[in-house]
Amino acid sequence: MRKKWVGYAFISPWLIGFTVFVAGPFLLSIYFSFTRYDVVSPPVWVGLANYRKLFFDDPLFWKSLGITFKYALVAVPVGIAAGLGLALLLNLEIRGISVYRTIFYIPSIVPVVATSVVFVWILNPQIGLVNGLLRVFGIVGPAWLQDTTWAFWSLVFMSLWAVGGGMIIYLAGLKDVPMTLYEAAIIDGAGPLQRTWHVTLPMITPVIFFNLIMGVIGSFQYFTQAYIMTMGGPEDSTHFYALYLFNRAWRYLDMGYASAMAWILFVVVMFFTILIFRTHKRWVHYGN
Amino acid sequence: METEARDTSVPRARWATGLIFALAFAGVAAIFALPGPEPRRYPERIPVRFWHMWTAEWKVIVERIAERFNQSQEIYEVIPLSVPGAAADSKFLLAVAGGDPPDVMAQWNPVIPRWAESGLLMKLNDLMTPEEWDRFRREAYPAVQKIGIYKGDLYGVTTGLNAWACFIRLDHLREAGLDMRDFPETLEELMAWGDKLNRFDASGALTRIGFLPMGLHFFAPGFNGGFYDWDTGEVLIDTPENLAALNFLTEARRRLGFDEVVRFQSGLALGIGNIDWPFITGSYAIHVDGQWRVEQIAQYASYLEYDTAPIPPPAGGKPLFGWTNGNFMIIPVGARCPDGAWEFIKFWSGIAEPERAAEFYTWGGWLPLSPAIAEAPVYRKYVEEHPQFQTFLDMLPSENMHPTPPVPYQVYLFDRILSADDSAMRGTLTPQAALARLQREINREIASRREFGYED
Repeated sequence: MRKKWVGYAFISPWLIGFTVFVAGPFLLSIYFSFTRYDVVSPPVWVGLANYRKLFFDDPLFWKSLGITFKYALVAVPVGIAAGLGLALLLNLEIRGISVYRTIFYIPSIVPVVATSVVFVWILNPQIGLVNGLLRVFGIVGPAWLQDTTWAFWSLVFMSLWAVGGGMIIYLAGLKDVPMTLYEAAIIDGAGPLQRTWHVTLPMITPVIFFNLIMGVIGSFQYFTQAYIMTMGGPEDSTHFYALYLFNRAWRYLDMGYASAMAWILFVVVMFFTILIFRTHKRWVHYGN
Repeated sequence: METEARDTSVPRARWATGLIFALAFAGVAAIFALPGPEPRRYPERIPVRFWHMWTAEWKVIVERIAERFNQSQEIYEVIPLSVPGAAADSKFLLAVAGGDPPDVMAQWNPVIPRWAESGLLMKLNDLMTPEEWDRFRREAYPAVQKIGIYKGDLYGVTTGLNAWACFIRLDHLREAGLDMRDFPETLEELMAWGDKLNRFDASGALTRIGFLPMGLHFFAPGFNGGFYDWDTGEVLIDTPENLAALNFLTEARRRLGFDEVVRFQSGLALGIGNIDWPFITGSYAIHVDGQWRVEQIAQYASYLEYDTAPIPPPAGGKPLFGWTNGNFMIIPVGARCPDGAWEFIKFWSGIAEPERAAEFYTWGGWLPLSPAIAEAPVYRKYVEEHPQFQTFLDMLPSENMHPTPPVPYQVYLFDRILSADDSAMRGTLTPQAALARLQREINREIASRREFGYED
């Protein structure tokens, strides 16, 4: 019994920090979402008014939610495909492979703020690297971040920059696939593509499942790049949900409204996470 | 062989581990060896904690002013602290909520109406003597009062107004056969000058913009419009005057090509700081910008031949018009030393001694609070050395320069004005549709605020 309390005593700094800085605000924000609250004055109870306004009287809420959905729908599968593809290539035993792995992994550890600033220049329509390359082939590139149609896709394109983070996890998963399965497949006459499709992919579905969950959660919280690179523009085409939430909370001082937005986001993320969990038995294969 | 390999790898691993620990230890030791905060110079005095958002050379100027204040009296010590701009507002709000705010803060974000409504800010007229308040109302330039006063009370004192006017490249004028002495008297004439100054390359792409009016919030007052009735306090959006202004701006953009202008401008450096400002690099022949550029040109491009002039009004419009903002000082509720803070504000702004404060305004190239400062010898000397600055001083008495309407949803309103402007400038929406959308958005915001129990 005494040993148990000693254990709690050792983790008490974390417990206290979690209670005060995470659990407390988390629970308080439920209350704030039913109030008019500006951080400084005492909250005033307004019932469901924040939620009513969000659902029925705020087109920007729906627009920002739609943009975020679209991003999750596009960027997550693209990121998984790119990360997995890279991992498969970098799983080959060729000379200098660890150098290639390092090269592809490094971008993912560059701070997102620095990456964003660099990409503002890379995507510059006049003097940017991308349009410079396109010009070599006689193509006039779009205005990317300044173009209402292209700004969103520019951010999707940029998300591939950090694909190395996922790649390294896939690579670890690939290394864990038992060689005996490949040997058996070869004996059965399977070619490289068949081995990839029928052995490799099923065996790393737990890793894909993990990256899918994390990717969906990350996509719904997409903020920094939009805040630095576009501030939601042009014409609200990159007005992501988290950016709108931030504006409501800190720029317009509608913390109650922002809390309601945060809870809707929480519910949405939970819904998709549960949905993915519910389906995972059909497509995720564990070794046992 | 295997035994030999093991024997050499173990000491290597030990070395590597030792090295990592040594480096980690050296890093920690270096952190502790760094100098701590500078000790207070006047520890016997009452501290006045001053937050501001300036960095680099601006921070030096601000600290110099604080030090001058400290040298000028024996009761207070102003302790300046540069707070990173991106997080300054949230830091300030949390400091007020936590009961430990600074005593005074320099701001430039449009925060006064919202923060005043929330009871975050002290009414500065309560700290003023009746005489000071009367003099402020009588002498401070109209824009200074519009920025600082909310619902009849003063919450912010401007220590540096911003005004915008035309910067004109004289070499470009000569090349196009134009003469500064014949500078247009109407906006329409200036557009014709712009046409003569535009330059295109062989493929027809823009290489220089002669003159392009931008920003509905800048130009609406010139068309007898604007977003606020300063007499009744009514927010004005979808009015014929604002529509005329937006039509004019959209037409100017359409003539050059919506996409063409986007491309051209996105290829320009932001020019926030120094020599890469597109006017200096020759990408604009006539460009609307703020008075601080005069000082920058003097410092970084003194070779440049240029002049300044107020934006001419459209035919039948109002002269000396534009949008304005500025740096202003606020005192939060909960400040421990509001009296010291107020003394510092008076000292810097020139409410106390205009002639002394005039020097501070010249250090930053700031526009003054009142004519008394503008007429001080030290300020006159500065203007003589920077003759292009006079244009901005001439604009200050104008009643046609307006800040963003002082309503509690000011930031939201400004964001949505920019969004409507953007949609019209890209040709996505007609000016009518853009203004109608803006009107709907603001009506909705006002209605929901009323539902939440706010007064306006």
